[in-house]
Amino acid sequence: MAKLIIDDLHVRLGGNEILKGISATFQQGEIVALLGRSGSGKTTLLRSIAGLEQPNKGAIRIGDAAVFDAAAGVNLTPEKRNLGLVFQSYALWPHKTVFENVAYGLKLRGCSKPEITARVEAVLEGVGLGHLGGRYPHQMSGGQQQRVALARALVYSPPVILLDEPLSNLDAKLREEARIWIRTLIKRLNLTAVFVTHDQVEAMAIADRIVLLDDGRIVQSGSPEELYNEPRSLFASEFMGVNNTVKSTVREARGGYVQIDLEGFALWGRNCGGKAVSDPAVGVIRLEQVAVAHGEAGGENTVRAELETSVYLGGHWEHVFRCGELSLRAFGKPLKAGPHWLHLPPEQLWVF
Amino acid sequence: MNRPLRIAVIVAMALAVLAPVGLVAYQSFLDGPFFQPQTTFSLSAYEFVLDDEDFFEALGNSAMIAFGMTLIAVPLGAILAFLLVRTDLPGRRWIEPLILVPMFISSVVLAFGFVVTFGPVGLVSLWVKGWLGEVPWYLYSKPSLMVIAGLTHVPHVFLYASSGLRSLGSDVEEAARSTGAGPLRVALTVSLPMIMPSILYSAVLVFFLGFELFGLPLVLGDPEGILVLATYLYKLTVKLGTPSYQLMAVVVVAIVCIALPLVWLQRTLLKTANRYVAVKGKASAVRPVSIGAWRWPAVTLIGLWLLVTVVLPVSGLVLRSFVTSWGEGVSLAGSFTLHHFKELLNYPNLVRGIVNTVLMAAVGGAASVAVYTLVNLAAHRWNSGWTRVMDYLVLLPRAMPGLIAGLAIFWVFLFVAPLAPLRQTLLSIWAAYTLVWLAYGMRLVSGALLQVGPELEEAGRVVGASPWRVSRDLTLPLIKVGLIGSWLLIFVTYMREYSTAVYLLSPGTEVIGSLLVSLWGTGAVDTVTALSTVNIALIGLGLLLMTSFRKHHHG
Repeated sequence: MAKLIIDDLHVRLGGNEILKGISATFQQGEIVALLGRSGSGKTTLLRSIAGLEQPNKGAIRIGDAAVFDAAAGVNLTPEKRNLGLVFQSYALWPHKTVFENVAYGLKLRGCSKPEITARVEAVLEGVGLGHLGGRYPHQMSGGQQQRVALARALVYSPPVILLDEPLSNLDAKLREEARIWIRTLIKRLNLTAVFVTHDQVEAMAIADRIVLLDDGRIVQSGSPEELYNEPRSLFASEFMGVNNTVKSTVREARGGYVQIDLEGFALWGRNCGGKAVSDPAVGVIRLEQVAVAHGEAGGENTVRAELETSVYLGGHWEHVFRCGELSLRAFGKPLKAGPHWLHLPPEQLWVF
Repeated sequence: MNRPLRIAVIVAMALAVLAPVGLVAYQSFLDGPFFQPQTTFSLSAYEFVLDDEDFFEALGNSAMIAFGMTLIAVPLGAILAFLLVRTDLPGRRWIEPLILVPMFISSVVLAFGFVVTFGPVGLVSLWVKGWLGEVPWYLYSKPSLMVIAGLTHVPHVFLYASSGLRSLGSDVEEAARSTGAGPLRVALTVSLPMIMPSILYSAVLVFFLGFELFGLPLVLGDPEGILVLATYLYKLTVKLGTPSYQLMAVVVVAIVCIALPLVWLQRTLLKTANRYVAVKGKASAVRPVSIGAWRWPAVTLIGLWLLVTVVLPVSGLVLRSFVTSWGEGVSLAGSFTLHHFKELLNYPNLVRGIVNTVLMAAVGGAASVAVYTLVNLAAHRWNSGWTRVMDYLVLLPRAMPGLIAGLAIFWVFLFVAPLAPLRQTLLSIWAAYTLVWLAYGMRLVSGALLQVGPELEEAGRVVGASPWRVSRDLTLPLIKVGLIGSWLLIFVTYMREYSTAVYLLSPGTEVIGSLLVSLWGTGAVDTVTALSTVNIALIGLGLLLMTSFRKHHHG
């Protein structure tokens, strides 16, 4: 069942069109990441759902009810939308204790004292802070504050929970742990969650589905595997992973594949951009798909390149090769200096 | 706050600001007081004032004094700021709070102090006369007025110059030092030019305050008949014997017309100054410039300024209030008395004045801060035409010196029938004070509001709080400390206020400031000095409260 529907949403802020027609559907129990560069409109979209920005066209529906509908003149204030929102800065109220921060939403909903106590304690227990209710936010670590912010957003069981870059204020180690526990928690409570991030690794780790935004429009939407393995545009392919890029023109086209040129070596790749012969094209291949061919050979889709340098990344090496003007990178085992043959499998070389 | 409430607050404020100004403008085009039945529209009042030589003399004097005091206050204030903020001057921590003292003492009280110490038979004058055989200065002259006005307005320049300097990284100075510039050169060619916008702003501010000058020229200009615009206005009643409201209104219009462009200029300059500072951004660790042997002349300069501007007048005044009389050949020790203070208690109006002043500062000040907070909240995080209109409206009372705002409020209470019964209550004075300090108070409170991150309030809305609940449960508790700080500042401000209540003085509405002005006219020096001493003591108490509050809240 669709929990949250966004229909042709346009947002204009101070003369700039930030969102240029966003339509998306979010299913009950689904975790969706809004992914994009800064300025892509992802945070504006989240804030529009929460009611903190006013769109000028389109509609937002939660469950069966419209919370915003420009055509019908509906625009519920943030407090009437009953959503949970975790701010990037956590926005914990410094003059309230952790307990009071979490309890405020229940107090506003007229819950009885014993009920508030029970529910706040339960939710704090759920985020692993059961014993810290009496503290003030400034007495807690960043990771703990983030859990309080999440507890505050969850305590009144909102139908949808929104998270704005929830992990960006944590240090690297903590962030990796938080990815896992946030996903586990949201899944356990069977919540519908929308979160904003600019980090594609974070998006892939937490989300069931990724909505990739660029310049106020949705570029692609799908499961993390889809976005990583089947990007539909050069932008999506570059955003989702680390690539080698080859600029060239199409020499030959045959059955969904095209042939491009890399410093004199002919390479076949998947024709992802509907290219015809002699069109300018960009070939893209993920670093981990480039294989160092051992032995002599110079077979199909291989390139001869000089090893320039190698960097140890812990567990594996990253090699930088030079092939004429172009530098190519690949992962692998330690290599001797000198020329090597690199294999770029045609089905992994996307031509846009 | 929701939209209708916001608009209601802004409309109410607009009414409170525009009514007095509008009434004054209206009155200036009548040929008699507005309450007289047979008045008609005419330009006769303008003709009279523009024909009056005294008016042009007063205007000329105001301009000259404003210009002269700016020339004195700005360089001195800027140098003081550099010495205290950027150098290793000995005793910086002690001197800095003292520099602001002249801002907190009412300028009539300071003027009395100058009379008592530097007047023809003043304490210092007599001492100098004993040395030199004559007094080499004459207090009741335009040059003295200019110098005293200049010296007492140094803190205004200091305040803005020092905050400009504080936001400047010390790397720019170190760079100058390492290329071989001495400390004076660094100040004159690097630090001070970089805070030019702040200095320019304070120069316009001081010039503007020069036009508003009332207490100093009233006390120091009067013996020689030196009039400035505000004292000309004050003397108009006396001059013609009858309340000539239309003439007063014309003078008020003239003063507002001079002040308004200056206020607007200040606003523009402040904006550029802020932008200028913001560009340079983070001031990292500020290391003071070492000024070596220069420190002693520098300390002497500051000490001399403090001595002349604060220490001597204030201590002279306090001393005078404890002696029966003084003059040539009078022994101070032999004439010690508490009589003047006991005498104060014999006049019920003076006792009421003291009680009223404390009430006005404590309770009235709190009520004003509440008003300023309400108005601020009405515009808080609301980007609309209404708030822009409000920004300009707030400036309007700034163009009205206290004397004028008091007069205008007095007329409003006469003119608006339902308000008439309240005219002779403290409420009318409270309204005038609140109006006069509107821009100042608004800035104090908005400074506190700016500290609250928008997401703290948004978080409140999202978890289900209405705008009103957000204000009550989140915004107000978050700015509590800032509000108490604002109240303390307003407390001291109201304590020293003297000009605003002058026209509102009536049995029951006496405050120390307006009593001092009217008593000075009668020549009751003993009472005036005793009352001034009480005023200084109360202000001192307020400042003490403020310092201990700040210590408590900033570690």
